[in-house]
Amino acid sequence: MSSVRAPRRLDDLLDSTLMAKLDAIDVVSRKIFSGKVQGERRSRRRGQSIDFADFRPYVHGDDLRFVDWNIFGRLDRLFLKMFLEEEDLSLIIALDTSASMRGGDPDTFEYARKVAMALAYIGLVNQHRVSLVGFSGGRVERASNLRGRRKAADVASWLLKREPEGASGFEEAMRLVGTTRVGRGVMVVLSDFLFHEGYEKGLGMVAGRGFDVYAMQLLAPQVVDPSREGGVTGDLLLVDSETGAETEVTVTPELLRVYKERLDRLCGGIRHYCTRRDIVHLVVETSTPVETLMLEYLRKRGLLR
Amino acid sequence: MTAAPPTFLAVSWITPLAGAIVGTSVLAPLVALWFLKLRRRKRVIASTLLWTRSLADLRANTPFQRLRFNLLLLLQILAVAAIALAIAQPEAEGLGSAGGRHVLMIDNSASMSAIETVDGAGAALGEPTSRLALAKDAAKARVRELLGGGWFSLGASDVMVVSFGSRAEIKAPFTESIGALEAAIDAIGATDGSTAIGDAVALARAFTDTQNRNDARGERTEAESGDIPTIELYSDGRISDLGALALRDGESIIYHRVGTASDNAAVVAVSAERAPDQPDKVQVFASIANPGPAPRKVSLQLAVNGAVRAITPQPIEVPAAVERDGVFVPGRSQATFRPIEQPSDASIEVAIVEDDSLRADDAALAVVAPSKRLSVLLVGGDGFVMRTLVSGLPIERFETTAIAAFDAAVADGTLRPFDVVVFDGVQAKRLPPGRYLAFGPPPPLEGLSAFGSKSGVYARFAREEHPVFRMAALDELYVSKMTAVQPDRSFQVLAEAAEGPLVLAYDRAEMHAIYVTFDPLDSNWPFQRSFVNFTANAVEYLGNAGDLIATRGLVPGEAIAVRLPAGSRDVELRIPNGKSVALAPDAEGNISWGPVEVAGLYRIEYSAGSSTARQSRLVAVNVANADEARIDPLPELRLGNTSVQGISVSATRRGALWPWVLALGLLIVVLEWWYYQRQVRV
Repeated sequence: MSSVRAPRRLDDLLDSTLMAKLDAIDVVSRKIFSGKVQGERRSRRRGQSIDFADFRPYVHGDDLRFVDWNIFGRLDRLFLKMFLEEEDLSLIIALDTSASMRGGDPDTFEYARKVAMALAYIGLVNQHRVSLVGFSGGRVERASNLRGRRKAADVASWLLKREPEGASGFEEAMRLVGTTRVGRGVMVVLSDFLFHEGYEKGLGMVAGRGFDVYAMQLLAPQVVDPSREGGVTGDLLLVDSETGAETEVTVTPELLRVYKERLDRLCGGIRHYCTRRDIVHLVVETSTPVETLMLEYLRKRGLLR
Repeated sequence: MTAAPPTFLAVSWITPLAGAIVGTSVLAPLVALWFLKLRRRKRVIASTLLWTRSLADLRANTPFQRLRFNLLLLLQILAVAAIALAIAQPEAEGLGSAGGRHVLMIDNSASMSAIETVDGAGAALGEPTSRLALAKDAAKARVRELLGGGWFSLGASDVMVVSFGSRAEIKAPFTESIGALEAAIDAIGATDGSTAIGDAVALARAFTDTQNRNDARGERTEAESGDIPTIELYSDGRISDLGALALRDGESIIYHRVGTASDNAAVVAVSAERAPDQPDKVQVFASIANPGPAPRKVSLQLAVNGAVRAITPQPIEVPAAVERDGVFVPGRSQATFRPIEQPSDASIEVAIVEDDSLRADDAALAVVAPSKRLSVLLVGGDGFVMRTLVSGLPIERFETTAIAAFDAAVADGTLRPFDVVVFDGVQAKRLPPGRYLAFGPPPPLEGLSAFGSKSGVYARFAREEHPVFRMAALDELYVSKMTAVQPDRSFQVLAEAAEGPLVLAYDRAEMHAIYVTFDPLDSNWPFQRSFVNFTANAVEYLGNAGDLIATRGLVPGEAIAVRLPAGSRDVELRIPNGKSVALAPDAEGNISWGPVEVAGLYRIEYSAGSSTARQSRLVAVNVANADEARIDPLPELRLGNTSVQGISVSATRRGALWPWVLALGLLIVVLEWWYYQRQVRV
């Protein structure tokens, strides 16, 4: 376990240099979603914007303000002008705050907080509706409907109050998120996906419901390769931080080989599951600088532009 | 034959069984406990999900968990092993005591005087120590080991001490007294003799058999009796008669190999002779042997009566020893010194200047008699040839007499002393001690029997290296009639024909004789130059041979036997260590002392007749043994079909090792505790 210096303020989570770089990028949704208020996001819903979209015959009850009177003069029929409505994007960042997120060097949870802060900042700057969801032990804590750069401090404050504890309760948490979501948008799940109960049902709760879902699996270097410094070596009695379950291991090259195979199978399984459900699965080692992740990796994977 | 006990460890174990029991009874459960439950560090990690599944995968493929390396387990095993070893009470090199009888045979031959600077294990010694001292230390430690007991010790032993070199001697009979045995071992002194073990083994067997017979009569308890002893040999293994030794049923031998040194060169022969034409000058010859595998250069110094007279101007190169057809042949070189002026008698010493491991054989002594002209008596000298020949020799006094007069003079004791008496075709009735050259009829010497005559014989063999055959080849000798004789082992055949000996030499105490078994007139010999040379050589050889026995020298193990003038008194023998021994001559003046064990110059001082002046005779005793010069210890002994591996004898004084081993065990326990605490803390 690494000793972690807990962040205390916004700058600890997102420094000004990176903040400036993030000002230039935006969140990309693979779909266009309708929002609660008019935002900067183009929506498929026709509405009140200056961009003309189409005509359609007038039906009873339509707003007469949108009738195209010029066409009525020429054709003597009522047609309604339809405009593309500019909607806001709903960005939901689901942060795993279970105890398993604590650990590694760099610490997984601290890394997750920084990534969450960076993503939220991008959403805020681009006037998206940003919601933060922390989940552990089946409980969900939220900070909803934040918009605008000024809310960055609120986001940071909320993130700084989160501490990893308890089991993940991933399935229950995703069920709550899925059923209580407001609007549609992009959802980023930040977790290590090391769930004893499995990840399938949890992801299933948010997949296929209009969310553009990104499952970002954050793994500490020591989890990827336990033989690294600070990893697991020797004869140990391993205690699970979430469940308290004890496991006796004698780390040998053979066991390490099997472990890595297991990790590959886990990651491969998640990727396969996500692909089938139109979820983007990203594996991020926490040794990757946040800046590199945001400015290069996530842009390549299409989450940011 | 019983094979020698195993020699896998050079440490003695007083209570090996107890150690083995503790070791096996603790080590096995310890390892088993590690199988069942290793002591593990507790560590909280994010999730054990992957580990539990990996272990499940691994266990599915490996049904048995093998013991993996673990420092804690290793330290615990070491600690338990050390404690078990400590309980076994190791003391030093050697073998465990299993009771029974043991014969400690300690080699005190010349090679055991080699100086060791490293012990058997290769560690440097505090100060140079002789092999014999190492052997004695080891033997005393063995005695304490066998009889000293210890925790959980097995039964006591019966130990006998025998020293052996050129001769064997029981130093202590079978006993359980440590003090008596140690005193006996301490009393073993170094000798310069050769090494023969046969007598020692025979002695030990005879003593054991006698004791067993006593046991059978109930003189000893059943527990003490009837054991066939284990022979424990403390030696460097260079034993001349080892090939002839065979162990009997039930006998076993333990070879404690002593020493490591191999650097040695030896003066194996020295001779000092006066030239016939220049009797005041002495010519010295020496032979140097190198038993080592590499050639070496040596410088020699010549000392006369203790004063250095010459040193070889250039070092003499001695070739390396070689093996020829499985026979070890040491490298040899000869050295000749320029003749030195020495009209009087003297001790001549040739010594190697350079140091080596064995100093005893680095010098050899010879004694030269004073230059003198001989007196010769010709008995039965009717023949013109012999009388003319002998009278023509460069002698001081020449007389002739008839055989009857000679016999009468011998009978009434009025025979005047002559250096050499020559019998020309006549046979005396009795010969007093003296030097005789006899032609034709056999002289009355013990061990010589005549059985008729042979005719028409040719010389087939002659020992041409013998002084009597110098410039006297017998190649063209034809003998028409010779006396057929049968000599015993006290005679040396110098020349022989197919039909029997032609020339015999006899040397025993004060009696020296050369016997030619034919009358020269019954052969073509008088017409050959070899006849004249032979007669002159024989007279000179005999005339000088008897004066000082030391001119040929003795080797350690032989006895000094000298005939002094009748009536000699106050005889003292001064031995090389400076001590003197009073000797009492018999009526004829014979003295004997020995066997001599140490090489060097022995001086016999005496007063003769009415004179109070002290006279002396010198006897040189030399190692002069190329076999003893080979001092590198044999790693193993070959006894018939059995080979006995040597156990290195450590030069350091033996002491109890178990406290150290126990301390080591405790140290390991502390180390293990520290390591565990460090792991837990992390």
